[in-house]
Amino acid sequence: MTQSSRRDFLRSGALLGASLAGLPLLAACGDDAAATLDPSKAAKLDGVRLKLLVNQPNLGAWKIIAADFEAETGATVDISPFPYDKITSQAIRDVQSGAGEFDLFQYWYAALGDLADGGALEDLTSYIDGAKDINTGDFLPSIYDTYTLFDGKRWGLPFDGDTFLLFYNRRLFDRYRVEPPTTWDEYQTVTAKITKDSGGDVYGAIVMGQQVPIILGCTFADRLVGFGGRFVDDAGKPQLTSPEAIAAAEALFDVAPHALPTPLQTGFDQAIPAFLSGKAAMIEFWTDMSVMASNPEQSKIVDDWAAVELPVGGSNTKHGTSLNAGFGVAVSSASKQKEAAAAFAKFTASKKAQEHAIGEFGTGADPIRTSTLKSTAFKQTFGDAADAVAAGLSGAPLAWPNGPGAIDKLQTLVDELALGLQGKQSAQEALDKAQTAWEQG
Amino acid sequence: MSIAAAPARPRQRAARAVLRRRGGVARTPLGLALPVVAALLVFSAFPFAYLLGLATTDSTLARPLQGWVGTENVQAALRSEAFTSSLGKSAGFAVGASVLQLVLGTALALLLRARGTRLGWAGVALLLPLVTPPVMVGVAWKLLLAPVGGAFASISSTLGLGAFNPLGSSTGAFASLLVIDTWQWTPFVCLLVYAALLGVPRELVDAARIDGASAWQTARHVVLPCIAGTLVAVLVLRLVIAFKVFDIVYVVTAGGPGFSTTLSTFEIHREALQNFQVGTAAAATVLFSLLVGVFVTVVSRLQRRANGVAG
Repeated sequence: MTQSSRRDFLRSGALLGASLAGLPLLAACGDDAAATLDPSKAAKLDGVRLKLLVNQPNLGAWKIIAADFEAETGATVDISPFPYDKITSQAIRDVQSGAGEFDLFQYWYAALGDLADGGALEDLTSYIDGAKDINTGDFLPSIYDTYTLFDGKRWGLPFDGDTFLLFYNRRLFDRYRVEPPTTWDEYQTVTAKITKDSGGDVYGAIVMGQQVPIILGCTFADRLVGFGGRFVDDAGKPQLTSPEAIAAAEALFDVAPHALPTPLQTGFDQAIPAFLSGKAAMIEFWTDMSVMASNPEQSKIVDDWAAVELPVGGSNTKHGTSLNAGFGVAVSSASKQKEAAAAFAKFTASKKAQEHAIGEFGTGADPIRTSTLKSTAFKQTFGDAADAVAAGLSGAPLAWPNGPGAIDKLQTLVDELALGLQGKQSAQEALDKAQTAWEQG
Repeated sequence: MSIAAAPARPRQRAARAVLRRRGGVARTPLGLALPVVAALLVFSAFPFAYLLGLATTDSTLARPLQGWVGTENVQAALRSEAFTSSLGKSAGFAVGASVLQLVLGTALALLLRARGTRLGWAGVALLLPLVTPPVMVGVAWKLLLAPVGGAFASISSTLGLGAFNPLGSSTGAFASLLVIDTWQWTPFVCLLVYAALLGVPRELVDAARIDGASAWQTARHVVLPCIAGTLVAVLVLRLVIAFKVFDIVYVVTAGGPGFSTTLSTFEIHREALQNFQVGTAAAATVLFSLLVGVFVTVVSRLQRRANGVAG
């Protein structure tokens, strides 16, 4: 082979490589012309096998709902649990790569814009509008649009209405003679007192500050809503440098030295055992902490815990909660059996399925329907925390951004907050930088 | 002497049957190289072309290769304080870990060589960290270093030494990663150096001793030149592997506290799979590769010099 033909050969190889590089993109574009789902047409379900990507902490709920669905329809549901911080990228890659392994995705609502804009989700607008038995009017108003609506279209149905409460250890509160805090200032005082008086034996509070949105973001959001702040205004303009947001970040930074060491290292795996073993007196956590704390197999504080609404701060006197985490269920745009997948999504959000999941312990399910808040199953499972949960969800909880790029923006926010927690910058500096990054998009 | 001029023995004649003469130089038909060329295309050229494509286009995880943006992604990567600071930390980690492990591994190998030519149980002990998956190494060390309930914290508390939480401070967390990496990789260095030591001619060492050289002088002027090439080769290997470290960062510190242990590999992963900014991550990968290339080139030159010394 001559020198020139050798060059030609290599050039051809390069062109082949470049062509191959475009294949995944082409695969991703292949489903754009999917037909609109028709809810009036009964989906064939008997013998159908649906594959579902879910958030691992909700696995218990999915198992119950899938079993009910299988018994009712003759379909089979394969559930693949993934860590909470991996489900979004896993869903996007499943569609973008052309693999199309999953028919349905459980999604974090803050990732809705990224998923929908990225073409990973099927537009369910007409399906939901046409399926009257979904009874969308029963969905909690605070949740429904936030979890499912983007760019004027419905991309999914609510599944898990997560909010936070402040859990505390009554025995430790009695021992150190403190009362449950109602303001973030009181929370700071109680935390510092318990940590100091115990001499390091126990800690006043657990502050989850691991540098990911679903942990440190939640911890900041608890204070943001307490001080009456918001992430963005009605026009979508970032509000991270508002006095309320600055006060929220300051409250977070101030309590860190007194909390379980150290907040930046503290995620679920450190926080849950520390609270359930009685090593710390307070923790802000999802409502299912009430279930874990009541379980004698994993808790040493079965009779010692209680929960109250999140504290307030500054001039705000109205208790509120933030929609921390929170999940919906959507049909994959790469699914080859979208009708059946949509039927299962509808089933998961039904009153019956939701109440069954919530009525069992350890499912990780939280209310998404008004009727669920009034149900016996909810009150039995959530016990003493039921009223606080209902109060939070029935009000106007703080919603996180959910447009395209929201995950990136939230990561930027927690990055800056983490540097603040580390003592490298003030609350003002941290939020100034985050605000600038959010404005630049 | 060229192949064409070599005396024609039967096996060589058979081999030459597949050679062609072109301009006086024997060439292997390109067809025989096709498997290698195909492998290079699939495993090297294609990923690199794809990487460059991502780095120069508007690319997110969901929508890669959306449109040409030139150097915008490179500029975005260079504007990112998290990434630019990670380059220095990666270099510091790689050089620090590699040099530390080279010194410790060589010292350990010299000690073992002094004991004889069989490793015995020491060999088993040396292999254990090497065969443990890095993720498990990370999990084990994270449990050991946990500030509440961790083994070291409990010992510290029992001894009345107060709180022990190295992962809670920037310096402590970085040092912890160095210790963990050193725990895992020093045996690798030790085994390679030990093998090189076995190749040092005994008569050279004996001659040095007869000439009155001390143990240190023998090691410095006889043994070290003999194994210099191996040492630098091991340093190159360790540098490359240390630059690529990801598992223990992901498991033990997750890049924290703050960005204290955010090495480049972790930051690139974060940018691509947590923030979905694949274009910026690809540009960062190219920049990071250049940095690694600079270090490897410098050490490779050292290797050539070392080989010269050894030769």
